[in-house]
Amino acid sequence: MPADKQHWFRIREELPPRRAALLTAASFLLPIAIWCIVSYTPFIWHPDVKLQLSAMREGVSTTYTAGDHVSRDFFPTFVEGVRSDNAAIRESLADPEFKGNSAMRRENQRRLRQLAPVAISNGWLSAGDAENDAAIYEIWKGIATGTLVPTRPALTDENLAIVRENWAALAAGSETFDFKALPDKPLLKLVPQGRLANPNYLPAPHEVVIKGWTLFTQPLSSGQWLYQRLMHSITIVFSGFLLAAAIGVPLGVLCGTYDAFSKLFEPFIDFFRYMPAPTFSMLLVAVFLAHDAPKIALVFIGTFFQLVLVVAKTTRQLDRSLLEAAQTLGAKPPQLLGKVVVPGILPDLYNDLRILLGWAWTWLVIAELIGVKSGLTEFIETQGRYRNFDAVFPVIILIGVIGFCTDQFLAWFRGILFPYTARNRRPLGLGLPFKGLFQRSPVIPAATPESSR
Amino acid sequence: MQLELPDYREQSPEVRARFAKIAQRPVVLGVEGLTKRFQTPRGEVTALEDVTFNVHRREFLTVIGQSGCGKSTLIRILAGLETLTEGSVLVDGKPVTGPGPERGMVFQGYTLFPWLTVKKNVMFGLRVRGTDTVTAESEARQWIEMVGLSKFENSYPHELSGGMKQRVAIARALANQPRVLLMDEPFGALDAQTRCQMQTYLLQIWRNVDITIVFITHDLDEAILLADRILVLKPHPGRVEELIEVPVPRPRDPGQLLTPEFLATRKRLEELIHPPSSATTDKLPNLRLTTVGDEVE
Repeated sequence: MPADKQHWFRIREELPPRRAALLTAASFLLPIAIWCIVSYTPFIWHPDVKLQLSAMREGVSTTYTAGDHVSRDFFPTFVEGVRSDNAAIRESLADPEFKGNSAMRRENQRRLRQLAPVAISNGWLSAGDAENDAAIYEIWKGIATGTLVPTRPALTDENLAIVRENWAALAAGSETFDFKALPDKPLLKLVPQGRLANPNYLPAPHEVVIKGWTLFTQPLSSGQWLYQRLMHSITIVFSGFLLAAAIGVPLGVLCGTYDAFSKLFEPFIDFFRYMPAPTFSMLLVAVFLAHDAPKIALVFIGTFFQLVLVVAKTTRQLDRSLLEAAQTLGAKPPQLLGKVVVPGILPDLYNDLRILLGWAWTWLVIAELIGVKSGLTEFIETQGRYRNFDAVFPVIILIGVIGFCTDQFLAWFRGILFPYTARNRRPLGLGLPFKGLFQRSPVIPAATPESSR
Repeated sequence: MQLELPDYREQSPEVRARFAKIAQRPVVLGVEGLTKRFQTPRGEVTALEDVTFNVHRREFLTVIGQSGCGKSTLIRILAGLETLTEGSVLVDGKPVTGPGPERGMVFQGYTLFPWLTVKKNVMFGLRVRGTDTVTAESEARQWIEMVGLSKFENSYPHELSGGMKQRVAIARALANQPRVLLMDEPFGALDAQTRCQMQTYLLQIWRNVDITIVFITHDLDEAILLADRILVLKPHPGRVEELIEVPVPRPRDPGQLLTPEFLATRKRLEELIHPPSSATTDKLPNLRLTTVGDEVE
C-alpha cells in the first residue's frame, strides 16, 4: 500500500517521513496559531480595553493614561463619567454668571496634552514630545481645521466635534501656543477611546516580535546590550555545569566501577540531593559573597549530586560481559577502567550530560536571583515588575530557543562523535523529520546490517 | 521402524589410530576433581561435582548436557571468570587463578567492543599486552583474513551480521595465540543456516591453527560434528556422565550427518540427555477444546 494511503493511527508503527515532518512542523505551529487566534480575534477573550486616549477626572483617585488597560466592564462607566464632566462644563459655560479663573489655564494645558498619544501613534509627534505644548497646539489646529486627519487611531465623531469646539475657544485667544492666552474657562475633555485587548500578561505575537527586535538591536536602558546579559547567563550555567561535570563524572565513574567508592559516596549524595538547591542560596551568598560565585555554586549544587548518581548508574549498566571478554583477552583490572569502562559508557555518558545541562539551565533562574540579581533573569524580573510583558516574552523564548538548539546540536553531534551507535537510538532526532519536509517521495529505509551480509 | 546401527564405540582403524595419536600429545588443559558450590538463600547448591577430564593438544572437546547441568559454570571456571570450590584446573601444568590470555574465550553474546572497528577489536588483546601498534595491526590483519572478513576490517560491530560478529570474536580470541579456546555456545544465537556455515568455518580454522578447543553446546549434531570427544554432563549436581570418542572420521562435513557412525553416536547422546523416563514425566492433561471433530494427528 502506498505510504500516503495508510492509516494515520497505527499502533507503534512509524509514520512515513513526509507525515512525520508535517506533524513535527505542526507541533511548533499549532501553539503559535492558538496564540495568534486568541490575540487577534476580538470576540474570543479580550477582557480589557487598551486606552488609546485617556482623560483625567476630578475627584477620582485612579488616573489612567494612554496605553493602560482597563476592564471591558469598567470602560463604559469611564466614558460616561467623562461625558457627564463635559455636560457639567457646558452647563457652567452656558451660565452667563460663570467667571473664568486663571488657575484653569494649567488644567486646560493638561487637557490639550490629551491628544499627544494620538499624535504620537499617527506619527505627527515624536515620543519625546509628549509635553511639547507648541507642537500639540498645532495638532489641535490641524485636526480642527481638517488639515490633519488621524487614522491610527481615528478620532470618534464625538471627539472631532470636541476638538473643533475647543479650537474655537483656543483660536479666540491665540493661533499659536501661548500659555497666557489660554482660555481661563474650562475646555471640554476628550472622551476616552480604546480598543479591545487581552490582559497585558498576554501580549500579541507582533508586539512580542517588535519588542524582541528592539531588545536585540538597541542597547537596554542600563546601557548594556541584551546579548551581554545573555553571555553572562550562559557563563553562569556553563561554569556551574562544567565544574559539576569535572568533579562529578570521574566520581560517578569510580562509584559505578568500584563498590568501595559507591558505598562511601553514594548514600550521602543520595541524601543530599533531596535538599533543594535554592534552600542554600542565603548560605551561598554568605560564603561566596554577592556576585557570580554564589550563582555558580547554586548551579553546581543543583546538578552535581544528580550527576554523580546518574553517571554511576550509567557506568553500572555497562555490559559486564565486555569486562569479562577484555579479561580473557589479557586486560589487567587497572587497564579495564581506561580501556573498557570509559569508552564503553562514553555515548551514554554524553547523553546524561546533555540531560543534566538542561537541569543546569533550570537552576539558572534561581541562581541569578540570589545576591546581586543579574543576567537575563534580572531583566525579566524588572520588566515583569513594570508589567512590560512584551519584553518578558522574548527573553523567556530566547532561553528556550538556546536550550533547545544546544540540545539538538548536541544530539546531532553525538552521531559524529560516536559513529558506532546505531542511528535510530538518537533520542529526539529532529533532523530526521525535517529532512522529510524536502523529500518528494517516501524514502526506502536503508538496508539493515542484518540483511546486508 | 528401528534402524540397524553399529555400536557407537566401534571405531574404524583410522579413527582408532587418530585417538591413539591424540592421547600421545601432551595435556594442555587438565581438570581434576573440580567441584563448585554456590551459597543461595535456600542453602548450598552444588553446581559441579568432581569433574575430571584432560584435553590434549589440538584436541576438540565438546561439552553437552541439559540446560542447568552446569556447562556454562564449567567453562567460566576454566576461563577464570568464576572461582572453584574444590579441585584444580591446570593449563600446561600451571593452575588457573583468574582470567588470562592463554585461555581465549568466545561468548554467545559476541561481546565485541562496539566502539572499536573490527581491526581494533582484534588488536585489543595484543595492545593490552603491550604489543606495539604496527605489529598488532599486521597480526590482526592476518587473523581477520583467516576468518574471511578483510573487507570489513574498518567496519564497526553494529554493521555486521551475527555470524560475522562471531567470526570477529573468534579472530580476536585467536590473535592472542591462546593455548586453549573456550567457546560458550558461540553459535546458539544464530539461525540454523548461519550456524551450519559457522561450524564449517570453525573446523577449517581449527585445522589451520594450532589450537585446543573446548566447546559448549546443547545441540547434539553440533557436538558430534565438531568434536573429537564429547563430554556429557549430567545435572543436579553436574557430573561427568560419559566421555564419548566420536567414531566419525575426519575431515568432517555436514554430509556425514546421516552416516551410521554419526547416527549411532547421536542415538547414544539422545539416550543420555533425553532418557525415556524424562519424556513421560511432564505429560499434559488430556483436555480438548476443539469443536471440529476430525483428528489432526
